[in-house]
Amino acid sequence: MTANTRTVVAYTLVQVLEQRKSLSEVLAPQLAHISAPRERSLAQEICYGVLRWHLRLEAVLGRLLRAPFKERDKDIHCLLLAGLYQLIYLRLPAHAAVDATVEATLALDKGWARGVVNAVLRHYLRDSERLLAAADADECARLAHPTWLLELLKQAWPHGHNLPSWQAIAAANNERAPMCLRVNMRRTTRAEYLAQLQASGIAAHATLYSPQGVTLEKPAGVEGLPGFAAGEMSVQDEGAQLAAGLLAAEPGERVLDACSAPGGKACHILETTPALLELVALDNSAARLARVQENLDRLGLAATLVEGDAGAPQTWWDGRPFDRILLDAPCSGTGVIRRHPDIKWLRRATDIAAAAQAQQRLLRALWPLLKPGGVLLYAVCSVLPQEGEHQVRDFMAGQPNARAEPLALPADAEGGTILTGSHGMDGFHYARLRKGYL
Amino acid sequence: MALLNILHFPDPRLRNKALPVAQVDDAVRTLVDDMLETMYDAPGIGLAATQVNVAKRVVVMDLSLEKNAPLCLINPEIVSRSGTEEMEEGCLSVPGVYETVQRAERVTVRALDRDGKPFELDSDGLLAVCIQHEIDHLEGKLFVDYLSELKRTRVRKRMEKVRQHTL
Repeated sequence: MTANTRTVVAYTLVQVLEQRKSLSEVLAPQLAHISAPRERSLAQEICYGVLRWHLRLEAVLGRLLRAPFKERDKDIHCLLLAGLYQLIYLRLPAHAAVDATVEATLALDKGWARGVVNAVLRHYLRDSERLLAAADADECARLAHPTWLLELLKQAWPHGHNLPSWQAIAAANNERAPMCLRVNMRRTTRAEYLAQLQASGIAAHATLYSPQGVTLEKPAGVEGLPGFAAGEMSVQDEGAQLAAGLLAAEPGERVLDACSAPGGKACHILETTPALLELVALDNSAARLARVQENLDRLGLAATLVEGDAGAPQTWWDGRPFDRILLDAPCSGTGVIRRHPDIKWLRRATDIAAAAQAQQRLLRALWPLLKPGGVLLYAVCSVLPQEGEHQVRDFMAGQPNARAEPLALPADAEGGTILTGSHGMDGFHYARLRKGYL
Repeated sequence: MALLNILHFPDPRLRNKALPVAQVDDAVRTLVDDMLETMYDAPGIGLAATQVNVAKRVVVMDLSLEKNAPLCLINPEIVSRSGTEEMEEGCLSVPGVYETVQRAERVTVRALDRDGKPFELDSDGLLAVCIQHEIDHLEGKLFVDYLSELKRTRVRKRMEKVRQHTL
């Protein structure tokens, strides 16, 4: 016999929603329990969808349950969230989705819940319009964002063109992200790779802002794409691909990538600047550095891997300064919610201040490692000014020899922030800081 | 340890009746281990010897999602059954097909374990369904046999098409 798809979904969601584990950590091992590819992609779609619309689904479910489930029956709660997601968002025949969800109670060994699950889902179907309208009266439910995050977005981005930018960001966070590739300039060209994709019947187009980027019309499994094993390309969002161009390393330079793993940006720098003196890829996790090495190997690149804390250079730095430093700092990830919808659930308001503090520490620790005349590129995949603009402003206030340089970004990237979804990109903040000769 | 080849519906060898194991020896234990490895690799939650073209009454199962609770039934026999229950089933020999089957809600099974020691197991829910599904295999029976003629024909045509394209 094979595992039941919806059971796997329920177990995955319990681990994210109850045990607060990240989806990317738990999804792959859970999906490995399903043998049929079509069922596997359905399970993945439901898991992502439930986390994307979690607060809206909870608001509907809350109106359908008389009392919450016991701690040990949260799998049934998750099964119901998954059931509602299928009924509201997926174009499956409603009765089939209900039946499959009801039957999954048995595969969870909780046959007693059959009646509840059946009643709740059928109640929704009878009364869907009224239930959705009632849920949507609450802004957090309608936009499926926690209050604290909406408040921060409203504060940061109150204005906009057609609608306020905070609303555009919230909407983009709930969209499915496009699949974007970075073509390895050492192995091929973008035009050649696009031709290869076309020959394989995969529709794609060149990205507007990254000279190495290709966006697929439809997401696809990366192993099935031409040239993956041969290192002709990698998966990377266009917003992230801008880092290498903004850093603009030159042949002969020594470059530090300070929080390198999994190494996408380091590889990009090496692909586009072949004659570097050295690229040092630093990360504080040996396990994650192994991923960097894998990527380097696949792409045919070489870097010096160093395990160490970017905030404590005295523990790892050899004393030789760098011409360029990329600080892609750990952050809240509010710019990549569309790729990691569980961020909305796993992050809390207090994480932002903690992340900001850590970012400031890294900036201050790494600045002395930069040669006079050198460039530090600060990057975070966050749209919150607490981690972007404010961070850079606070840092520069204490560093008279740091000068912010203009950035070649899309015109609407106000003050260095790319808003999630604009030009199809993830949300990012970039700042290019030049060190003066003081 | 070795991965075994899983037969696919409508392979006629899936209709073979399995013979009782006379003695649980090292050869049988190797079969059990190979079947577990094959089941985990597939991946599945239950596998009968018939599915790997061995006509012996041997079944392996693991319902845990951590894949750390293997269960082995040698010469299994259902000694009592009660109630009815419906559940969507899938099978490693009928890949990609999921259909609802009605079975007994609770069953008690008697079998030998990997060391040849007899035991009895009361089961309900998923375990009960899985036990019945796997013991059916030993009788040459598949879950698609419970479907209507129309549905089963559709499944068979689809499987034959898949085979044509993959062999």
